[in-house]
Amino acid sequence: MNSDEIKEFVFKITVLGNSAVGKTSLINQYIEHSFKEDYKPTLGANIIRKDVFVDEINAKCRLILWDLAGQEKYQIVRSLYFQGCVGALLVYDITRHNTFNDIEGYWLKDFKRYVKKEGSYILIGNKMDLDDQRTVPEEEGRKFAEEIKASDFIETSAKFNQNVDLAFKNLVYQILRNHGEEI
Amino acid sequence: MIGEYKGVVKNKVITALLTAYHEVLDYDGLKSILREANLLDLKDIKNIDPNDTIDFFSFKKIITAQNILLFECNSLLETIGEKFSFYLFPFGKDFKEIIKEINELIQADWKVEIIKKTPQEIQVEVKKCIFCSEIGVSCDFFKGFLVHSLQKTLQSNMKVEGSIENEDVYSPDHYNFVLKLKINKV
Repeated sequence: MNSDEIKEFVFKITVLGNSAVGKTSLINQYIEHSFKEDYKPTLGANIIRKDVFVDEINAKCRLILWDLAGQEKYQIVRSLYFQGCVGALLVYDITRHNTFNDIEGYWLKDFKRYVKKEGSYILIGNKMDLDDQRTVPEEEGRKFAEEIKASDFIETSAKFNQNVDLAFKNLVYQILRNHGEEI
Repeated sequence: MIGEYKGVVKNKVITALLTAYHEVLDYDGLKSILREANLLDLKDIKNIDPNDTIDFFSFKKIITAQNILLFECNSLLETIGEKFSFYLFPFGKDFKEIIKEINELIQADWKVEIIKKTPQEIQVEVKKCIFCSEIGVSCDFFKGFLVHSLQKTLQSNMKVEGSIENEDVYSPDHYNFVLKLKINKV
Protein backbone atom coordinates (compact mmCIF):
# COMPACT_ATOMS: atom_id res chain seq x y z
CA MET A 1 0.00 0.00 0.00
CA ASN A 2 1.25 3.50 -0.85
CA SER A 3 2.03 5.42 2.37
CA ASP A 4 -0.01 8.39 1.07
CA GLU A 5 -3.07 6.25 0.56
CA ILE A 6 -5.93 7.02 2.91
CA LYS A 7 -7.15 4.02 4.86
CA GLU A 8 -10.84 3.70 5.63
CA PHE A 9 -12.50 2.05 8.60
CA VAL A 10 -16.04 1.74 9.87
CA PHE A 11 -16.44 1.05 13.59
CA LYS A 12 -19.62 0.37 15.45
CA ILE A 13 -19.35 1.56 19.04
CA THR A 14 -21.91 1.18 21.82
CA VAL A 15 -22.36 3.41 24.83
CA LEU A 16 -23.61 1.35 27.77
CA GLY A 17 -24.74 2.03 31.30
CA ASN A 18 -27.77 2.47 33.55
CA SER A 19 -30.52 4.98 32.84
CA ALA A 20 -29.58 8.63 33.42
CA VAL A 21 -25.81 8.13 33.74
CA GLY A 22 -25.38 10.56 30.84
CA LYS A 23 -24.84 8.33 27.80
CA THR A 24 -26.86 10.52 25.43
CA SER A 25 -25.30 13.68 26.90
CA LEU A 26 -21.79 12.32 26.27
CA ILE A 27 -22.68 11.59 22.64
CA ASN A 28 -24.39 14.97 22.15
CA GLN A 29 -21.36 16.73 23.58
CA TYR A 30 -19.01 14.71 21.36
CA ILE A 31 -21.07 15.18 18.18
CA GLU A 32 -22.47 18.70 18.47
CA HIS A 33 -20.86 20.18 21.60
CA SER A 34 -24.21 20.74 23.26
CA PHE A 35 -25.78 19.79 26.58
CA LYS A 36 -29.43 19.68 27.59
CA GLU A 37 -30.40 20.01 31.24
CA ASP A 38 -33.70 18.14 30.89
CA TYR A 39 -33.54 14.37 30.96
CA LYS A 40 -35.39 12.38 28.33
CA PRO A 41 -34.77 8.63 28.45
CA THR A 42 -33.62 7.06 25.20
CA LEU A 43 -36.25 4.83 23.62
CA GLY A 44 -34.62 1.82 21.98
CA ALA A 45 -31.42 2.89 20.30
CA ASN A 46 -30.21 6.32 19.36
CA ILE A 47 -27.79 5.81 16.46
CA ILE A 48 -25.46 8.54 15.21
CA ARG A 49 -22.74 8.65 12.58
CA LYS A 50 -19.55 10.64 13.01
CA ASP A 51 -16.68 10.70 10.52
CA VAL A 52 -13.26 11.43 11.99
CA PHE A 53 -9.82 11.64 10.44
CA VAL A 54 -6.87 10.13 12.29
CA ASP A 55 -3.83 12.06 11.06
CA GLU A 56 -1.25 9.80 12.70
CA ILE A 57 -2.11 6.89 10.40
CA ASN A 58 -3.77 8.80 7.56
CA ALA A 59 -7.11 7.09 8.12
CA LYS A 60 -10.75 8.01 7.77
CA CYS A 61 -12.84 6.41 10.49
CA ARG A 62 -16.59 6.33 10.29
CA LEU A 63 -17.96 5.85 13.78
CA ILE A 64 -21.47 4.48 14.16
CA LEU A 65 -22.36 5.29 17.74
CA TRP A 66 -25.14 3.29 19.37
CA ASP A 67 -26.58 4.91 22.45
CA LEU A 68 -28.53 2.02 23.93
CA ALA A 69 -31.49 2.57 26.21
CA GLY A 70 -30.67 1.67 29.79
CA GLN A 71 -34.07 0.24 30.62
CA GLU A 72 -34.54 -3.49 31.17
CA LYS A 73 -37.45 -3.74 28.74
CA TYR A 74 -34.98 -3.66 25.84
CA GLN A 75 -33.08 -6.72 27.10
CA ILE A 76 -34.67 -9.03 24.49
CA VAL A 77 -33.61 -7.01 21.45
CA ARG A 78 -30.27 -5.91 22.90
CA SER A 79 -28.43 -8.94 21.47
CA LEU A 80 -29.44 -7.77 17.99
CA TYR A 81 -28.26 -4.23 18.75
CA PHE A 82 -24.75 -5.49 19.60
CA GLN A 83 -24.10 -7.24 16.28
CA GLY A 84 -20.96 -5.90 14.58
CA CYS A 85 -19.88 -3.88 17.61
CA VAL A 86 -16.11 -3.49 18.12
CA GLY A 87 -15.96 -1.21 21.14
CA ALA A 88 -17.85 0.28 24.04
CA LEU A 89 -17.84 3.06 26.56
CA LEU A 90 -19.05 1.61 29.88
CA VAL A 91 -20.52 4.60 31.68
CA TYR A 92 -21.43 5.04 35.34
CA ASP A 93 -22.50 8.08 37.33
CA ILE A 94 -19.95 8.98 40.04
CA THR A 95 -22.81 10.15 42.31
CA ARG A 96 -24.74 6.85 42.21
CA HIS A 97 -22.80 3.80 43.37
CA ASN A 98 -25.38 1.34 42.03
CA THR A 99 -24.60 2.47 38.47
CA PHE A 100 -20.95 1.60 39.15
CA ASN A 101 -21.87 -1.84 40.55
CA ASP A 102 -24.01 -2.56 37.49
CA ILE A 103 -21.06 -2.12 35.13
CA GLU A 104 -19.61 -5.44 36.21
CA GLY A 105 -22.86 -7.12 37.17
CA TYR A 106 -24.73 -6.23 34.01
CA TRP A 107 -23.24 -4.09 31.22
CA LEU A 108 -19.83 -5.71 30.90
CA LYS A 109 -21.48 -9.15 30.99
CA ASP A 110 -23.78 -8.08 28.16
CA PHE A 111 -20.88 -6.72 26.13
CA LYS A 112 -18.80 -9.88 26.58
CA ARG A 113 -21.77 -12.11 25.82
CA TYR A 114 -22.62 -10.49 22.51
CA VAL A 115 -19.35 -9.00 21.25
CA LYS A 116 -16.39 -10.97 19.93
CA LYS A 117 -13.47 -11.12 22.32
CA GLU A 118 -11.31 -8.53 20.53
CA GLY A 119 -13.86 -5.84 21.47
CA SER A 120 -12.32 -2.89 23.36
CA TYR A 121 -13.94 -1.03 26.21
CA ILE A 122 -13.18 1.99 28.32
CA LEU A 123 -14.61 2.67 31.77
CA ILE A 124 -16.13 6.14 32.10
CA GLY A 125 -17.10 7.83 35.38
CA ASN A 126 -19.41 10.63 34.25
CA LYS A 127 -20.69 13.73 36.08
CA MET A 128 -17.27 14.65 37.53
CA ASP A 129 -18.65 18.20 37.88
CA LEU A 130 -20.78 16.89 40.79
CA ASP A 131 -17.75 16.09 42.92
CA ASP A 132 -19.47 17.20 46.15
CA GLN A 133 -22.05 14.43 45.64
CA ARG A 134 -19.52 11.77 44.68
CA THR A 135 -20.08 8.24 46.02
CA VAL A 136 -17.53 6.47 43.81
CA PRO A 137 -13.98 7.63 44.59
CA GLU A 138 -11.77 8.09 41.53
CA GLU A 139 -9.32 5.53 42.88
CA GLU A 140 -12.08 2.92 43.13
CA GLY A 141 -12.97 3.50 39.48
CA ARG A 142 -9.34 3.27 38.40
CA LYS A 143 -8.76 0.05 40.35
CA PHE A 144 -11.93 -1.48 38.96
CA ALA A 145 -10.94 -0.57 35.38
CA GLU A 146 -7.72 -2.54 35.90
CA GLU A 147 -9.64 -5.49 37.33
CA ILE A 148 -11.98 -5.71 34.37
CA LYS A 149 -9.10 -5.13 31.92
CA ALA A 150 -10.61 -1.97 30.47
CA SER A 151 -8.32 -0.23 27.99
CA ASP A 152 -8.59 2.98 29.94
CA PHE A 153 -10.38 4.77 32.76
CA ILE A 154 -11.51 8.37 32.34
CA GLU A 155 -13.72 10.62 34.42
CA THR A 156 -15.81 12.98 32.31
CA SER A 157 -18.30 15.79 32.55
CA ALA A 158 -20.73 15.76 29.64
CA LYS A 159 -22.17 18.98 31.03
CA PHE A 160 -18.93 20.96 30.89
CA ASN A 161 -17.30 19.02 28.05
CA GLN A 162 -14.45 17.72 30.18
CA ASN A 163 -12.55 14.73 28.77
CA VAL A 164 -15.41 13.79 26.42
CA ASP A 165 -13.40 13.98 23.20
CA LEU A 166 -10.53 12.21 24.95
CA ALA A 167 -12.77 9.29 25.94
CA PHE A 168 -13.96 8.69 22.37
CA LYS A 169 -10.50 9.31 20.93
CA ASN A 170 -8.84 6.80 23.26
CA LEU A 171 -11.44 4.18 22.44
CA VAL A 172 -11.02 4.68 18.69
CA TYR A 173 -7.22 4.44 19.02
CA GLN A 174 -7.54 1.20 20.97
CA ILE A 175 -9.87 -0.24 18.33
CA LEU A 176 -7.38 0.76 15.63
CA ARG A 177 -4.61 -1.03 17.56
CA ASN A 178 -6.82 -4.12 17.65
CA HIS A 179 -7.03 -3.81 13.87
CA GLY A 180 -3.24 -3.93 13.61
CA GLU A 181 -2.56 -0.21 13.35
CA GLU A 182 0.47 1.18 15.16
CA ILE A 183 -0.82 4.24 16.90
CA MET B 1 -25.64 6.78 -3.07
CA ILE B 2 -25.22 5.26 -6.49
CA GLY B 3 -27.78 4.41 -9.15
CA GLU B 4 -30.85 5.93 -10.73
CA TYR B 5 -33.38 7.77 -8.61
CA LYS B 6 -36.32 8.14 -10.93
CA GLY B 7 -39.57 6.67 -9.77
CA VAL B 8 -42.28 6.81 -7.14
CA VAL B 9 -43.12 4.83 -4.03
CA LYS B 10 -46.58 4.36 -2.54
CA ASN B 11 -47.03 5.91 0.88
CA LYS B 12 -48.10 2.56 2.32
CA VAL B 13 -44.54 1.34 1.72
CA ILE B 14 -43.13 4.24 3.71
CA THR B 15 -45.51 3.75 6.61
CA ALA B 16 -44.81 0.00 6.71
CA LEU B 17 -41.07 0.69 6.68
CA LEU B 18 -41.21 3.32 9.41
CA THR B 19 -43.48 1.12 11.53
CA ALA B 20 -40.96 -1.71 11.18
CA TYR B 21 -38.14 0.61 12.32
CA HIS B 22 -40.27 1.74 15.23
CA GLU B 23 -41.03 -1.80 16.34
CA VAL B 24 -37.42 -3.03 16.19
CA LEU B 25 -35.44 0.12 17.10
CA ASP B 26 -38.15 2.06 18.95
CA TYR B 27 -38.81 5.77 18.52
CA ASP B 28 -35.21 6.99 18.86
CA GLY B 29 -34.00 4.39 16.37
CA LEU B 30 -36.64 5.48 13.89
CA LYS B 31 -35.66 9.12 14.38
CA SER B 32 -31.97 8.25 13.97
CA ILE B 33 -32.55 6.82 10.50
CA LEU B 34 -34.74 9.72 9.41
CA ARG B 35 -32.25 12.24 10.80
CA GLU B 36 -29.43 10.59 8.87
CA ALA B 37 -31.64 10.74 5.75
CA ASN B 38 -32.44 14.43 6.38
CA LEU B 39 -36.12 13.51 6.45
CA LEU B 40 -36.92 13.92 10.14
CA ASP B 41 -40.27 15.50 9.26
CA LEU B 42 -41.52 12.04 8.34
CA LYS B 43 -41.24 10.77 11.92
CA ASP B 44 -44.83 11.51 12.82
CA ILE B 45 -46.60 10.82 9.53
CA LYS B 46 -50.07 9.55 10.20
CA ASN B 47 -53.34 9.54 8.31
CA ILE B 48 -51.71 9.89 4.93
CA ASP B 49 -53.34 8.49 1.82
CA PRO B 50 -51.70 5.05 1.49
CA ASN B 51 -52.08 5.11 -2.28
CA ASP B 52 -50.53 8.51 -2.74
CA THR B 53 -46.82 8.47 -3.54
CA ILE B 54 -43.49 10.01 -2.57
CA ASP B 55 -40.53 10.38 -4.89
CA PHE B 56 -38.14 7.47 -5.13
CA PHE B 57 -35.17 9.68 -4.26
CA SER B 58 -36.56 10.34 -0.76
CA PHE B 59 -37.28 6.66 -0.29
CA LYS B 60 -33.74 5.83 -1.39
CA LYS B 61 -32.34 8.33 1.10
CA ILE B 62 -34.08 6.43 3.91
CA ILE B 63 -32.71 3.08 2.72
CA THR B 64 -29.20 4.53 2.40
CA ALA B 65 -29.41 5.97 5.92
CA GLN B 66 -30.61 2.58 7.16
CA ASN B 67 -27.65 0.85 5.54
CA ILE B 68 -25.16 3.35 6.95
CA LEU B 69 -26.42 3.24 10.51
CA LEU B 70 -27.14 -0.49 10.59
CA PHE B 71 -23.70 -1.35 9.29
CA GLU B 72 -22.93 -5.04 9.91
CA CYS B 73 -26.26 -5.54 11.68
CA ASN B 74 -27.27 -8.44 9.46
CA SER B 75 -29.74 -10.05 11.87
CA LEU B 76 -31.29 -6.73 12.73
CA LEU B 77 -31.78 -5.88 9.05
CA GLU B 78 -33.34 -9.27 8.43
CA THR B 79 -35.70 -8.75 11.37
CA ILE B 80 -36.68 -5.29 10.08
CA GLY B 81 -37.30 -6.84 6.65
CA GLU B 82 -39.62 -9.41 8.23
CA LYS B 83 -41.54 -6.69 10.06
CA PHE B 84 -41.72 -4.65 6.86
CA SER B 85 -43.43 -7.60 5.19
CA PHE B 86 -45.81 -7.94 8.12
CA TYR B 87 -46.86 -4.28 8.06
CA LEU B 88 -47.05 -4.03 4.29
CA PHE B 89 -49.17 -7.17 3.94
CA PRO B 90 -50.74 -7.54 7.39
CA PHE B 91 -53.24 -10.18 6.31
CA GLY B 92 -50.78 -12.18 4.22
CA LYS B 93 -51.11 -12.80 0.53
CA ASP B 94 -50.23 -15.32 -2.13
CA PHE B 95 -46.46 -15.09 -2.66
CA LYS B 96 -46.84 -14.55 -6.40
CA GLU B 97 -49.18 -11.63 -5.66
CA ILE B 98 -46.68 -10.14 -3.21
CA ILE B 99 -43.93 -10.24 -5.83
CA LYS B 100 -46.21 -8.60 -8.38
CA GLU B 101 -47.31 -5.96 -5.88
CA ILE B 102 -43.86 -5.01 -4.57
CA ASN B 103 -42.86 -4.13 -8.15
CA GLU B 104 -45.95 -1.95 -8.43
CA LEU B 105 -45.63 -0.32 -5.01
CA ILE B 106 -42.04 0.71 -5.65
CA GLN B 107 -41.91 1.91 -9.23
CA ALA B 108 -38.25 2.38 -9.98
CA ASP B 109 -35.42 0.91 -12.01
CA TRP B 110 -35.49 -2.54 -10.44
CA LYS B 111 -37.27 -5.85 -10.88
CA VAL B 112 -38.26 -8.76 -8.70
CA GLU B 113 -39.36 -11.96 -10.39
CA ILE B 114 -40.04 -15.60 -9.54
CA ILE B 115 -37.85 -17.65 -11.89
CA LYS B 116 -38.36 -21.13 -10.46
CA LYS B 117 -41.05 -22.70 -8.39
CA THR B 118 -41.25 -26.25 -7.03
CA PRO B 119 -42.93 -27.52 -3.84
CA GLN B 120 -39.50 -27.55 -2.16
CA GLU B 121 -37.95 -24.37 -3.50
CA ILE B 122 -38.75 -20.99 -4.96
CA GLN B 123 -36.08 -18.89 -6.65
CA VAL B 124 -36.52 -15.15 -6.83
CA GLU B 125 -34.38 -13.07 -9.12
CA VAL B 126 -33.77 -9.49 -8.03
CA LYS B 127 -32.33 -7.08 -10.56
CA LYS B 128 -30.84 -3.79 -9.34
CA CYS B 129 -32.07 -4.38 -5.79
CA ILE B 130 -32.87 -0.99 -4.32
CA PHE B 131 -32.32 -2.20 -0.76
CA CYS B 132 -28.65 -3.18 -1.10
CA SER B 133 -27.24 -1.00 -3.85
CA GLU B 134 -24.38 0.31 -1.69
CA ILE B 135 -21.12 -1.58 -2.00
CA GLY B 136 -20.40 -3.68 1.06
CA VAL B 137 -24.01 -4.03 2.14
CA SER B 138 -25.63 -7.43 2.11
CA CYS B 139 -29.28 -7.61 1.27
CA ASP B 140 -30.45 -9.04 4.57
CA PHE B 141 -33.35 -6.60 4.68
CA PHE B 142 -34.96 -7.81 1.46
CA LYS B 143 -34.06 -11.41 2.25
CA GLY B 144 -35.97 -11.04 5.53
CA PHE B 145 -38.87 -9.53 3.64
CA LEU B 146 -39.07 -12.36 1.10
CA VAL B 147 -38.55 -15.18 3.60
CA HIS B 148 -41.27 -13.85 5.88
CA SER B 149 -43.64 -13.13 2.98
CA LEU B 150 -43.36 -16.74 1.81
CA GLN B 151 -43.43 -18.16 5.33
CA LYS B 152 -46.82 -16.56 5.97
CA THR B 153 -48.36 -18.44 3.04
CA LEU B 154 -47.29 -21.85 4.38
CA GLN B 155 -48.56 -24.21 7.04
CA SER B 156 -46.95 -23.90 10.46
CA ASN B 157 -44.96 -27.13 10.03
CA MET B 158 -43.08 -25.67 7.08
CA LYS B 159 -40.02 -23.46 7.44
CA VAL B 160 -38.45 -21.20 4.82
CA GLU B 161 -34.69 -20.78 4.58
CA GLY B 162 -33.30 -18.10 2.31
CA SER B 163 -29.82 -18.01 0.78
CA ILE B 164 -28.03 -16.01 -1.88
CA GLU B 165 -25.50 -18.11 -3.78
CA ASN B 166 -21.94 -16.82 -4.15
CA GLU B 167 -22.81 -13.47 -2.63
CA ASP B 168 -19.97 -10.94 -2.86
CA VAL B 169 -21.07 -7.68 -1.28
CA TYR B 170 -17.96 -5.93 -2.59
CA SER B 171 -18.76 -6.68 -6.21
CA PRO B 172 -20.24 -3.66 -8.04
CA ASP B 173 -22.78 -6.10 -9.47
CA HIS B 174 -23.92 -7.51 -6.15
CA TYR B 175 -27.32 -5.86 -6.35
CA ASN B 176 -28.28 -8.42 -8.99
CA PHE B 177 -28.84 -11.78 -7.34
CA VAL B 178 -30.97 -14.88 -7.08
CA LEU B 179 -32.43 -15.69 -3.69
CA LYS B 180 -33.17 -19.35 -3.11
CA LEU B 181 -36.05 -19.94 -0.74
CA LYS B 182 -35.95 -23.53 0.46
CA ILE B 183 -39.12 -24.90 2.02
CA ASN B 184 -38.43 -27.53 4.65
CA LYS B 185 -40.68 -29.57 6.92
CA VAL B 186 -39.94 -29.08 10.61
